[in-house]
Amino acid sequence: MNLGRDVMGFGLRLLNRFAGAPVVDKLGLRKSSEKAIYQASKLGFRTATAAARSFSAAQKLVRPARLAKNTSSGLFDLTPSEEQLMLRDAAQSFALERLRPAAAAADTACAAPADLLKESADLGIALIGISEELGGAGSERSAMTNVLVAEAMAQGDMGLAVACLAPAAVSTALSLWGNEQQQAAYLPAFTGDNSPVAALAIQEARPLFDPFLLQTQAKRVGDSFVLQGVKSLVPRAAEAELFIIAAQLEGSGPALFIVESSTPGISIEAEPAMGLRAASTARVVLKDVKIPATALMGEGSAEVYAECIQLSRIAWCALATGTAQAVLDYVIPYVNERVAFGEPISHRQSVAFSIANIGIELDGMRLLTWQAASRAERGEAFDVPAALARRLCADKGVVIGSDGVQLLGGHGFIKEHPVERWYRDLRAAGMMEGVVLV
Amino acid sequence: MKVLVSVKRVVDYNVRIQIKPDGSGVVTDGVKHSMNPFDEIAMEEAVRLKEKGKVTEIIAVTLGGAKGEETLRTALAFGADRAIHVKEEGEIQPLTAARALAAIFKKEGAQILFTGKQAIDDDANQTAQMTAALLDLPQATFASKVELDGTKAQVTREIDAGLETLEVDLPAVISADLRLNEPRYLKLPDIMKAKKKTIEAVSFADLGVEAAASLKTIKTTPPPTRSKGVMVKTVDELVSALKAKGLV
Repeated sequence: MNLGRDVMGFGLRLLNRFAGAPVVDKLGLRKSSEKAIYQASKLGFRTATAAARSFSAAQKLVRPARLAKNTSSGLFDLTPSEEQLMLRDAAQSFALERLRPAAAAADTACAAPADLLKESADLGIALIGISEELGGAGSERSAMTNVLVAEAMAQGDMGLAVACLAPAAVSTALSLWGNEQQQAAYLPAFTGDNSPVAALAIQEARPLFDPFLLQTQAKRVGDSFVLQGVKSLVPRAAEAELFIIAAQLEGSGPALFIVESSTPGISIEAEPAMGLRAASTARVVLKDVKIPATALMGEGSAEVYAECIQLSRIAWCALATGTAQAVLDYVIPYVNERVAFGEPISHRQSVAFSIANIGIELDGMRLLTWQAASRAERGEAFDVPAALARRLCADKGVVIGSDGVQLLGGHGFIKEHPVERWYRDLRAAGMMEGVVLV
Repeated sequence: MKVLVSVKRVVDYNVRIQIKPDGSGVVTDGVKHSMNPFDEIAMEEAVRLKEKGKVTEIIAVTLGGAKGEETLRTALAFGADRAIHVKEEGEIQPLTAARALAAIFKKEGAQILFTGKQAIDDDANQTAQMTAALLDLPQATFASKVELDGTKAQVTREIDAGLETLEVDLPAVISADLRLNEPRYLKLPDIMKAKKKTIEAVSFADLGVEAAASLKTIKTTPPPTRSKGVMVKTVDELVSALKAKGLV
């Protein structure tokens, strides 16, 4: 029998009965008696524990015994390397100093300024994913680096980041899945001074769009393929010189095709959207587009296509994370400076909790994205982490965008502050397929 | 022409500085560091001169702990050809730094030492001047424009009264002011290629430099918080308030 617990139980029963008695209220004793109950129960616990246990030194210690620090085995460690941090910092300073100030105008104009795009191409983002053999800068697979760079660019502005990163998706795809002829034909252009505008087109405008079941069709006709269909929300399509287009290959499954924009049968229709406006999104209409048999990437393999979709989703997660970070960095000073009812609004719990939630969810988004990317670059299966990251970033990205607008109150709704734009952009992250790759 | 550029690793200018509770200095653990912004400007100037064909080799130098290597990598990504890391984990006073830079300058046979006018951590603004004195070379500090002409350099300096143009014989020491140039954005491939360039590690002993101990930090304290101002509605009110304080 546990004597301690019995003593305590008896005491608490007594105290509860006393506390519940209406006479306490009647006599105005509630406050003081509550204090007495608190004190009594506190002492009661102390007495009960003291009665039940006695401590004695069972062993003599020369020094305190502590567990040694765990040595890193590489597992669970997502800390970016020094070089990755340098690359991220470089992209970030460009994004914050150059993209951010240009973003509002680009959003209104539905176009990114040409000189800014040139400047961004000069940064050489596309070269990270191209091997040194072909004039690039990469020596190993760099999904994680690309994630960090995409995140940093989106911290400036998601729409402009998409415009800047779109060509790199094509060079990354060529370097991952292109065969020797395809690489030799197209990659050198990306490493030159005047790198081409290019886009990876997967999205289609239809209900319940599934990237693994495309309406765009590719038929074998003799020695070539003929493409029919419409691709939606393709960034910078009007100026693109090269596309990688996803189409359902007859008798097989979805596959990627390299299509030069000068091929007859291709027309471009502007398709401005709610978000990503700076990326000048457009439809690419393919009508009897005849391309050579050599245009098929990865021999039409289902694994290649699935990997492309997953890597693209990770890239969108990175963009969402970057934009969500921009929201957080914008609202924190705002709520600390904005005074209402005589004090900064951050003193209100509803505001403070909202900020804390953004911080927590943002870190969750980032870690899942990094996990997926680090598995991808090590060549391990990353479908599950990529799917988890996609789900979380889609859901929480939109919530963070909306909360950002809400935290700014009336200011959130007007265009003077960038948060409404990020809210619109963040809706894209959960819906887009293709366009960017890591 | 060989130029030496000294770069220092400092707490990033965006970081809000915090004082250690015991007043022995500022908190640097877990704080973002970057290259001293004035040194970036000095680095950029050297690279521009190299692009113009006036400079053949750029050597970046840093003094400090192991992490200083990151700063040297940044310098190499900017366009330095190689780097020298004077390793010293402890405190380095301006005179010590000047002695080390002078030793390297002599050893390398450089023509110009470019530095930032000061580092944004201790704001000493002494190293360039001391190095010039130790080497007995001309110095042109706070440069806002540098033009090289054979064995001479024309340096425009920002001074209180406006601009002053100096002509110095080379070799010389030049320190960069804020408006000398706007440093470029680092190209990502250059950052990746930087790891292939060499960083030579040396110690004060290798250079035959004795650490100076002429300065002692007694205490570091945060600046006093600014007290709240007073709002006045009219000029008369302002004048009478100033009079009341005995200021007019």
